[in-house]
Amino acid sequence: MPKTKISEKDDELFSCSRCGACLAVCPVYKQTLDEGVAPRGKLSLIEAAANNKIAISEKLSQKIYTCTLCNYCTKECPSGVKVDELFKAVRGDLVESKKYPEVLDYLKSKIEKAYNITFDTNQGRLDWITQQPDAKFEDYLKETADVLYFVGCVSSFSPRSFPIPRSITQIFKRAGVDFTLLGEDEWCCGFPLYSSGMKDEIVRLADHNIRKVKDKKVKLLVASCPSCYHTWKHDYPKVANEKIDFEIMHISQYLHALIKEGKIKLNAINARVTYHDPCDLGRNSGIFEEPREVIKSIEGIDFVELPSAKLEANCCGGGGNLEYLDPGLSSKIAEAKASEIIGTGAEIVVSSCQQCERTISTALKKKKGEIDYRLKVMDISELILQSML
Amino acid sequence: MKEEHVKYLEEIAGQDKVLTDIEDKICFGFDSTRLQYLPDVIVKVKDSRQISSILKFANEYKIPVTPRGAATGLSGGCLAVNGGILLVLLEMNRIYYVNPIDLLVEVQAGAITVDVDKAASKYKLFYPPDPGSMKTSTIGGNIAENAGGLRGLKYGVTKDYVNSMEVVLPTGEIIDIGTRTVKSVTGYNLVDLMVGSEGTLGVVSKATLALLPIPPARASLLALFNNLTEAAKTVRDIVAEGVITATLELVDNVTINAIEDYLKIGLNRNVGAMLLIEVDGQQGSVDIEAEVIKKVCAQNNALSCKLAASEKERDVLWSARRAALSSLARIKPSTILEDATVPRSRIVELVEAVNNIAKKYDIMIGTFGHAGDGNLHPTILTDLRDKEEEKKVEKVIEEIFIETVKLDGTLSGEHGIGLTKARFLKLEISDEVYKLMKKIKHALDPNNILNPGKLFVD
Ligand SMILES: Cc1cc2nc3c(=O)[nH]c(=O)nc-3n(C[C@H](O)[C@H](O)[C@H](O)COP(=O)(O)OP(=O)(O)OC[C@H]3O[C@@H](n4cnc5c(N)ncnc54)[C@H](O)[C@@H]3O)c2cc1C
Ligand code: SF4
Ligand code: SF4
Repeated sequence: MPKTKISEKDDELFSCSRCGACLAVCPVYKQTLDEGVAPRGKLSLIEAAANNKIAISEKLSQKIYTCTLCNYCTKECPSGVKVDELFKAVRGDLVESKKYPEVLDYLKSKIEKAYNITFDTNQGRLDWITQQPDAKFEDYLKETADVLYFVGCVSSFSPRSFPIPRSITQIFKRAGVDFTLLGEDEWCCGFPLYSSGMKDEIVRLADHNIRKVKDKKVKLLVASCPSCYHTWKHDYPKVANEKIDFEIMHISQYLHALIKEGKIKLNAINARVTYHDPCDLGRNSGIFEEPREVIKSIEGIDFVELPSAKLEANCCGGGGNLEYLDPGLSSKIAEAKASEIIGTGAEIVVSSCQQCERTISTALKKKKGEIDYRLKVMDISELILQSML
Repeated sequence: MKEEHVKYLEEIAGQDKVLTDIEDKICFGFDSTRLQYLPDVIVKVKDSRQISSILKFANEYKIPVTPRGAATGLSGGCLAVNGGILLVLLEMNRIYYVNPIDLLVEVQAGAITVDVDKAASKYKLFYPPDPGSMKTSTIGGNIAENAGGLRGLKYGVTKDYVNSMEVVLPTGEIIDIGTRTVKSVTGYNLVDLMVGSEGTLGVVSKATLALLPIPPARASLLALFNNLTEAAKTVRDIVAEGVITATLELVDNVTINAIEDYLKIGLNRNVGAMLLIEVDGQQGSVDIEAEVIKKVCAQNNALSCKLAASEKERDVLWSARRAALSSLARIKPSTILEDATVPRSRIVELVEAVNNIAKKYDIMIGTFGHAGDGNLHPTILTDLRDKEEEKKVEKVIEEIFIETVKLDGTLSGEHGIGLTKARFLKLEISDEVYKLMKKIKHALDPNNILNPGKLFVD
């Protein structure tokens, strides 16, 4: 059996004092009350494996992957243990040892064959455009432009997320932004595999995507998916052979800039609104203020924070592929998030992630029977478009 | 553990609540001491009836049973040193009700401390014992260790808030002890016997806890001193002036620098010590008490003594104090936190003794803690992977204990004796008292199945 490489991380592993502070914030622990999947518990397993006290078993693997990669544990850790980095490194080792969830092979084969996470061919990336009655391709797929919008797999293929790219492109048109898309040339950014420990595949995907974006001679790439954004901004520069020579922004940052430049005119919306920080955008990328300022720039909005926001935001349960690996647990986490949102008394909950939007909507629907509330889930782009109309 | 025994446990608690895989044993085999002992089987229990069945079964087959809350203990209390059954109480986490008239809350033992306080806060009440681990620790663990917190001087510790409880005796009987009244003298005070018994005399399954109204006003002060001695004298004098502060926390220079390295909030790195003080109550009395504190600080040559001007400033101050241990933990791979406690009048001597020990052994010790109630946390910073260091640390700890006892102090203010301090117990208590404690243990647990290997070394 291949040995783990984890022993290289000896110092980092030893720095965990087992104080238990991470338990109080870990969404997985809070729902299961099981030390076996708590951050501290996982670290103890990794340490035992690194010291050859236990084998790298299926069971160990299953525990390591029971995690949304929300990174709250790292943020909370008083000893400064980089828990998330350890988990990602160990996922890599588990892949090398061929001890990883089967569903990842399936995901990998999809991405290798069709360059996206669905069974559709990559032409399907254009469905959200063609299904609009008067859409013209040439408006979306220019040879060159100032800005490239990287749509991401979920928003491209999942019809329930179509409103996101549609809103964004409409906003761009109204604001006079010279933009383009990659269309069929857009490949999965690689995040689902990379974050699961399949480290090799991402290089080919990254190089392809960077080359194609460069061909468009853009100055700026905008992503609406926080995980795509994080991968482009923080992982590609480390792993890709191609060099990135354009700026990278999340849509919430770009909307913020457009509003400040006066390119977007907003009408009042009278509603109580709260905002959910997606883990990959907030805690993992440090973007907290721009989305809030975008929301607050709409007149009439009564903005309320969730009880735990920004660095302390609770995960929606949709991260780290947990939805594939343990759907029941993922939805329990989402329901806890939904209760927190309902508690604010908001009429609209805004997120800036298609995945969070989906998990939260589903969880809210489940709550419908229990609690009476009026709540709409919206992506930040949908909110802005609504206020422009 | 025999397979049929595991099967029987599964019948009691349910198949998915009984774990025997090595991976689970490892995860449930440690606490915050970082020591590791693997149980033979882990059982997650739901109610007192299950606990009772398990204890009866364990008596029959002489299998050790170790209660476990959230495993944040600092004396190894929940470690299954003799293997056997680890009884996990985390799923017993219901908070039944808050009674705002009798100022009571009834909870299951696995309820998380902070959740109890949150439930109380809906009625403008609070649960005073606030251990640093309160976001993770359980009420059962708090009761078993008689946990304290930052507010001990004015508000006392866990034992002052346990009105009644349901306990499963080591032999399996389920009993209710205590009352829901403010006072009671009906028979022996069994509640106080159970509180602090470190899971050796019974398993707490439910508790009715007292609450207090949240005080309407509070004020926080930060006082800086040239040296620890002047700070410690100030602690003594504040109380002597008749002011009982809610918190009175001392932080030494090593710890101040560690906090500043971590948080970068502009603390003065050159001062010898600082005191963080909070008074609460009615606005008028808070104002008067704050003035008295300023006066006492000045009399003791404080470099400065400032009132936090806003809630925000206050939060910065307390975040600094809360970060004390974390900040120290970042300096070296291992931190060993002791909780030596002496009468308030002898704080100065304790601080000096700890400093001398640190010098003698050339080891880094950061000291901070609840100076108001004489409870300090000398924190040894080291790397326990180094065997030489490990030996040195053992000597350091022993000397701290010897000095503490010489100062009429006690080995543990709040973390308990458990496994790690068992060998020092006789430093503090006489042979007669030791024997009496063992008699009590034997009377309740004739087969010595509940948490054996703790408190007593033989
Ligand atoms: C960072 C940090 C800060 C801390 N700060 C403080 C502090 O300020 N003040 C303080 O007093 N302590 C503090 N502690 C120590 C610790 O958190 C307390 O002792 C706490 O009460 C332990 O609770 P637990 O649920 O984690 O118990 P565990 O560690 O699981 O168990 C502790 C003991 O209680 C027994 N036990 C647990 N549940 C039951 C039950 N239901 N019935 C019978 N016995 C039971 C166990 O057998 C064991 O002996 C701190 C610990 C850490 C890591
Ligand atoms: S918070 Fe950090 S040091 Fe504490 S148990 Fe978790 S990982 Fe370990
Ligand atoms: S990353 Fe999130 S889900 Fe994973 S262990 Fe840490 S806190 Fe838990």
